[in-house]
Amino acid sequence: MLQDRTVQPETDATIDRGEPIMRLDHLRRDFASRNGDITAVDNVSFDLYKGDILCLVGESGSGKTTVARMAAGLLKPTRGKVYFEGKDIYEMSKKEFGEYRRAVQIIHQDPYASLNPIHTVGDMLRAPLLKHKICRNRAEATKRASELLELVDCRPVENFIDKYPHQLSGGQRQRISIARAMTLNPRVIVADESVSMVDVSIRVSLLNTMLKLRNELGVTFLFITHDLSVVKYFAWEGNIGVMYVGKVVEYGRTPGVIGRSMHPYTRALAAAIPEADPDLTRSKEKLQLRSLDIPQLTELPDGCVFHPRCPYWVQGLCDVKMPPLVRVAEDREVACHVVQAIVERGGNPRDLEVTDQLANELMRK
Amino acid sequence: MTDQATRAAFEAERNRTRGTAESTAPVILSIKDVSVQYKTPFGWMTAVRKSSMDIRRGEAVALIGESGSGKSTLGFALLRMLPRAARVNNGSAMFTDNEGKTYDLFSMSDKEFRDFRWSKCAMTFQAAQNVLNPVMRVSNIFYETAKAHGWNDRKAVREKTLDLFKKVQLDPRRVFDAYPHELSGGMRQRVSIALSLLLDPDLLILDEPTTALDIITQRAIIDVVKSLREQLDFTMIFISHDLSLAAELADRVATMYAGEIVEYGPVRDVFYEPEHPYTVGLLNAVPPITGEEFTPLVAIPGATPNLLSIPSGCPFHPRCPFATEICVNVNPPLEEVGGTHYVACHHHDQVTRDQEVWEGMEATVAAG
Repeated sequence: MLQDRTVQPETDATIDRGEPIMRLDHLRRDFASRNGDITAVDNVSFDLYKGDILCLVGESGSGKTTVARMAAGLLKPTRGKVYFEGKDIYEMSKKEFGEYRRAVQIIHQDPYASLNPIHTVGDMLRAPLLKHKICRNRAEATKRASELLELVDCRPVENFIDKYPHQLSGGQRQRISIARAMTLNPRVIVADESVSMVDVSIRVSLLNTMLKLRNELGVTFLFITHDLSVVKYFAWEGNIGVMYVGKVVEYGRTPGVIGRSMHPYTRALAAAIPEADPDLTRSKEKLQLRSLDIPQLTELPDGCVFHPRCPYWVQGLCDVKMPPLVRVAEDREVACHVVQAIVERGGNPRDLEVTDQLANELMRK
Repeated sequence: MTDQATRAAFEAERNRTRGTAESTAPVILSIKDVSVQYKTPFGWMTAVRKSSMDIRRGEAVALIGESGSGKSTLGFALLRMLPRAARVNNGSAMFTDNEGKTYDLFSMSDKEFRDFRWSKCAMTFQAAQNVLNPVMRVSNIFYETAKAHGWNDRKAVREKTLDLFKKVQLDPRRVFDAYPHELSGGMRQRVSIALSLLLDPDLLILDEPTTALDIITQRAIIDVVKSLREQLDFTMIFISHDLSLAAELADRVATMYAGEIVEYGPVRDVFYEPEHPYTVGLLNAVPPITGEEFTPLVAIPGATPNLLSIPSGCPFHPRCPFATEICVNVNPPLEEVGGTHYVACHHHDQVTRDQEVWEGMEATVAAG
């Protein structure tokens, strides 16, 4: 099935696994709040290679957007470094930093808010082209703008270039946002919930447009979403990082993380999602959590942040010691004491079962 | 699980819940040719056109559609909660309560309707935080609602409320005396569901009950609604853009497009043998999530029409790979295609999920 798709080329054909284009190194970000400092993101590291797709998945408050903003240079990490093409972005010269900012572009969630209502599509695309001297004059900029509209499948171009945002549908506006992000020939696009506000029937073609940028132009994507079905389609060739309350709990290649998830939180998510298939969804095996509530960032639990909800937790271990993110299989990292212990004992981490014996052994450690 | 085992599990599940697809229970709500219009600076815009459906007691009916399909407008029209700029300009909606008394929803006086609403037919809304008065404790919201319908026995109201909280899995000690802002989104949605059931309505309308909630919270709401249906006797209409919610909760599914009901039938018929191209297109665009196989997806070409200039004939024809000349000229009526499955399509017997047909179409229509 996979080979048939023109938008889904062979694995690694487009990903250049040389030097990472972007490296997020132990990022942490604190925010001041009325009830004291909160840590929105802690200890998050990722390498992004050219042509790679990295999806960050998580529920509200998981810190995925904060990571995206740090990667785009919009927010300074409290601790940790962001490297772009091997250089720490906060030790760059002004010129280098400018180049980095041009090379990393953002597409926001809400196309109704991110496009200026008093400018036409043409104005919005021409302005950066002229300002950054990519085009020398207005005629040249108009030509380039038309090419960009073609690129994002806004055809025929004449129907779009003189329109104002209010004359376009939500999906079309989001295409304009993508075209605008492409004006400066970026190397990396940070897409923050970019298809969340678009109707299902249009969502797929928007994702296809973005995949085309990656497959044909080698653009690298950092893609933020809460929607696992979008991830499965968009990042099939890439990686997923599952975040929970500011931490990465599972990381690996997309098919594995979705099809054979290991961390109890990822499994709870996969089990909770309703499917558009009556027989399948009604017979899906559910994972009962101990609590429905996500902990407050102001009072994070000790030990593993997921333990108050985790059905597999081991008392005396999970509520005391924070599990590190550890490689448990080829292409898979998981932050869970129980998964790690089962793997160490040669067991199958998909059969999460905490026997008394295992619990005792873990406690003694 | 094997396919057979899955089917068996589903059949068992379906038999357990009332209101199966072949339900012969009496009709509780009969909607006929309902049209709703909004006044705009460019004239009257028709948001719901000539929509008809019968809902039987005990059934769970899903109204599915994208933004602008008219699904919420229809729901609001039934409870006469449309904004001032809207009017029901055609059709009727007859409601028969569990005692057999019939109400004409669009011709009752305002006073009669105030008594009817909430006691016979209640609604929960998408943004639960906007329904709950922020300066009132949850307990007072329940007392006030009861009082407005002449139920002044505070002790009985309290008992009923606490019982409902148990049914929607809320901790009464934490919730009863709390202010809405002290509760999480999922808890507020459950409070709002409990509030809608306070007066034992015969019909409950849920507008996007899980939208904007996190996945695990969504699951909790779904499970609560399922268990409520097993414990209490009410009919349910829920409005959603999310097909998977319909797959999970509905006995019958109605697909709406550009203000019209284009397909209406038992949930398994609609999902496994859809006959309207729009339903097929929607199903092709939502992938199964679990499993290790990659599922190619196909978009529906084009964009949803502007309601001020709905295409001639069948409103879906500019986006439809099966359209022929007749579709451009004649709007097909909703017709029975077998059992209780209705479809509004001239070519419903040719409609397939074959992706090549759809991909060929995508290339010829402007992107949405």
